[in-house]
Amino acid sequence: MGLLRAVALNTFREAVRDRVFYNLLLFAVLLVGTSLIIGQLAAGQDVKIIKDLGLAASLLFGVGIAVFLGIQLVAREVERRSVHATLAKPVSRPVFLLGKYVGLLLTLGVNITVMAVALFAVLAVYQSVTPAGVQATWTAPALDPRLLIALGLIYVELAVVTGVALLFSTYSSALLSATFTTAIWVAGHFVGDLRTVEQIGASGTTVWVARLVSWVLPNLALFDVKAEVVHGLPVPAGQVVAAVGYGAAYGAAMWLIAVAIFQRRDFK
Amino acid sequence: MTEPVIVVDRLTKDYPVGFWRPRPYRALDALSLEVAPGEVFGCLGPNGAGKSTTLKLLLGLVTPTSGTAHIFGRPVSSVASRERVGFLPENPVFYDYLTGEELLTYFGQLCGLRASEARRRGTALLDRVGLGAERRLAIRRYSKGMVQRLGVAQALVQDPDLVILDEPMSGLDPIGRRDVRALILSLRDEGKTVLFSSHILSDAETLCSRVAILAAGRLQALGSMTDLVQFSVRAWELLLDGVDATLEHRLRETGATMTTLSPGRVQVHLPGTQPPEPLLQWANGAGARVLALQPVRETLEDVFLKHVEGKRRDVPGTTGGA
Amino acid sequence: MSGLRARARGGRLPWLLAAAALLVAATGFQMASLSQRPVRDLPAVLYLQSPTVARRAVLSFDMLAADLYWLRALQHFGATRLQTSGPRTFENLYPFLDLATSLDPRFVVAYRFGAIFLSESPPGGPGRPDLAVRLLEKGVAATPDRWQYFQDIGFVHYWWTGEYDRAADAFSKGAAIEGAPWWMRSLAAVTLSEGGDRQTSRLLWRSLSQTAENDWLRRDAQRRLTQLDALDHLDQLQAVVARGRLSGLSAPWSWAQLLQAGLLSGVPIDPTGVPYVIDINTGRVDLDRRSTLWPLPTEPRGLPGLAREPR
Repeated sequence: MGLLRAVALNTFREAVRDRVFYNLLLFAVLLVGTSLIIGQLAAGQDVKIIKDLGLAASLLFGVGIAVFLGIQLVAREVERRSVHATLAKPVSRPVFLLGKYVGLLLTLGVNITVMAVALFAVLAVYQSVTPAGVQATWTAPALDPRLLIALGLIYVELAVVTGVALLFSTYSSALLSATFTTAIWVAGHFVGDLRTVEQIGASGTTVWVARLVSWVLPNLALFDVKAEVVHGLPVPAGQVVAAVGYGAAYGAAMWLIAVAIFQRRDFK
Repeated sequence: MTEPVIVVDRLTKDYPVGFWRPRPYRALDALSLEVAPGEVFGCLGPNGAGKSTTLKLLLGLVTPTSGTAHIFGRPVSSVASRERVGFLPENPVFYDYLTGEELLTYFGQLCGLRASEARRRGTALLDRVGLGAERRLAIRRYSKGMVQRLGVAQALVQDPDLVILDEPMSGLDPIGRRDVRALILSLRDEGKTVLFSSHILSDAETLCSRVAILAAGRLQALGSMTDLVQFSVRAWELLLDGVDATLEHRLRETGATMTTLSPGRVQVHLPGTQPPEPLLQWANGAGARVLALQPVRETLEDVFLKHVEGKRRDVPGTTGGA
Repeated sequence: MSGLRARARGGRLPWLLAAAALLVAATGFQMASLSQRPVRDLPAVLYLQSPTVARRAVLSFDMLAADLYWLRALQHFGATRLQTSGPRTFENLYPFLDLATSLDPRFVVAYRFGAIFLSESPPGGPGRPDLAVRLLEKGVAATPDRWQYFQDIGFVHYWWTGEYDRAADAFSKGAAIEGAPWWMRSLAAVTLSEGGDRQTSRLLWRSLSQTAENDWLRRDAQRRLTQLDALDHLDQLQAVVARGRLSGLSAPWSWAQLLQAGLLSGVPIDPTGVPYVIDINTGRVDLDRRSTLWPLPTEPRGLPGLAREPR
């Protein structure tokens, strides 16, 4: 446990020293800037747009970090050969990988927490300057606690993406890992379409291949409740819990496969 | 005799070479050796001999194709085998965003030390390798020699009983080399076992109790320095100044071979079976000055060249190292 | 962790088996989550519903944004047509087209195709010729020198709403523009005098199929012409049935019966090669639903084939 914590904290420290958290500054500027502009352009929809933007930006920035750091987890260490000294210590490779994974989850967690605080702060300011009459037309309150559900599921999505990045980075170069992971992330949002390819005229083997791929790829659409939350539509608790379970199981599976690959790897 | 620290038995490693249809390349071929406690053991050989591969196999960085290796009686595939081992990789690279102190603390924790204990050990070690003043400096600002010293320090972080050093002298200036030599000797005096690889033979000659000479992945020679190197004098070398024709003629009669370096200055090579003293007297008598007189012994280099000659090879797909 | 530490390195299988087990579990979670997810019946998010806001919000990417909205319009139109359950509402089609053309007022394709999509009658389209005309008029306002928009407006009036006077008006406005082809003026005249004549329709579509600068428009016009041919066939076949009725034939109607009576020399097929169908009870002849020509346009007023009821 101590080992795991040491590796995780070192990974977190690496992210901090790489100035990863500068993205938060950009996020805040984007959010505040947009809210100022939106306020002058349109009435009524502005809170919705701030929420849309805040959630979309947390996801995009988060995925950026997950890919950027996720591939560094292992691929860069192997490329630069810093892994030699580390793995010559009495650390097992599974623990090493898990520590890296946990460290990155910690980084992403801190990141999204700060983003959530920033988003709520902007929304609170907006609410305080909006007349009650206009507020009555909103489909969801400005300081909707359900935003946390959306943010939480975004975090789970990031965890899954990180797992995929970890897996690729155990046997591929940093650049390729980044490309693959981004591709999987994009594809993961079209899993639903893969299951209905026959509706757009595909047939035979194509349909079966698409179905198979659709169950292997991470179904990232499960973590997307942004629209429901923004429009104040119901999000059943069971759906959220199952999605979290899915993310946890999928992420853990990625780690296990990464271990299976990494176990046998030679560091020349 | 006590239990050996390292036992290597017919250890073999093939690397696949080539992208399409990789073929196995035998980096190490059936190496067997043992290292006893308290030994300073040198692993010598030219580039591509399999030295680095051997060390990496011992640390579990590389999985053997066949054969076994044990450290302190534990198979090298187990994590526990590395608990009492410190390792300095060849041309080490560390997390350059950390300071020297942070790196040693982290590595200490990986070896099971508590953070405070690891920090204390780290500070002491940085002083020991001469980096005490730079311990708060980010590693990315370290020079190559400083990184090498840091590498030595991190290999000692948990006070290991076996220290494995891969090319410890590379990248060091003469002072650095002297420091590392002194450090290896002090580790020996502390009763630790040291295994290091090198292609610098003079280092091995002064430090090692035993050496293994590898070439082309095979063990060529194994034994103590006295076993391998004959210490009897093979010849004498004499440097004289102000030599005239009479003296030259007289020296040649004794069977010495001569090389004239400049007018009057001559290098004399006398077979080891003949005493050099009469020559000195003649030289004195003829008014020539004796600039130098030294015995010629067999060196490790001679032994090395004898075993290695013609067995050099370049490793495909790599640039140097083995 | 102690279990992991003690493990010797090497065996991959246990890790992969555990991963497989977790992936199976993940599939269970996935199905559970999907099953509990309410059917997503959200208003498709337009983000910026007002074109003026949109123009400012997209910075200098207005052309790109226009393309994206045009693509979304196409996607929306296509996806709704393919939709198998529920009512096919094309509610976002006009907003998308409106946004695309506001962001890029010279987006010719968006105006002309958009008008075709909007006028298409259900179930293949929203059946909103009024919106089609509104969209095209926006185009006219942006680029008054494009006579093609007037041609399209005239078409929508002629073909879908049957307002021949307005169609003629649009044609003559278009004809007044410099560079308009000579036949625009005659179109206006013919439409005004003989509005609703199938021959006039043919003239309209033929003119379009010959002048259209775009393959899709040309193919569409050719399809319309083929549909007109099919309408001619149907009229002739209906006449054959009427003759059969006079000579004493009655239900159940079938091609076999008419063939035996010597009224037909073979099973009649439409221009795409699919046999026409005859209603067994009423003897009404129609296009097979599997034909690519189906559905045929509702015949404008005053055509010979009035016997056919409007669909």
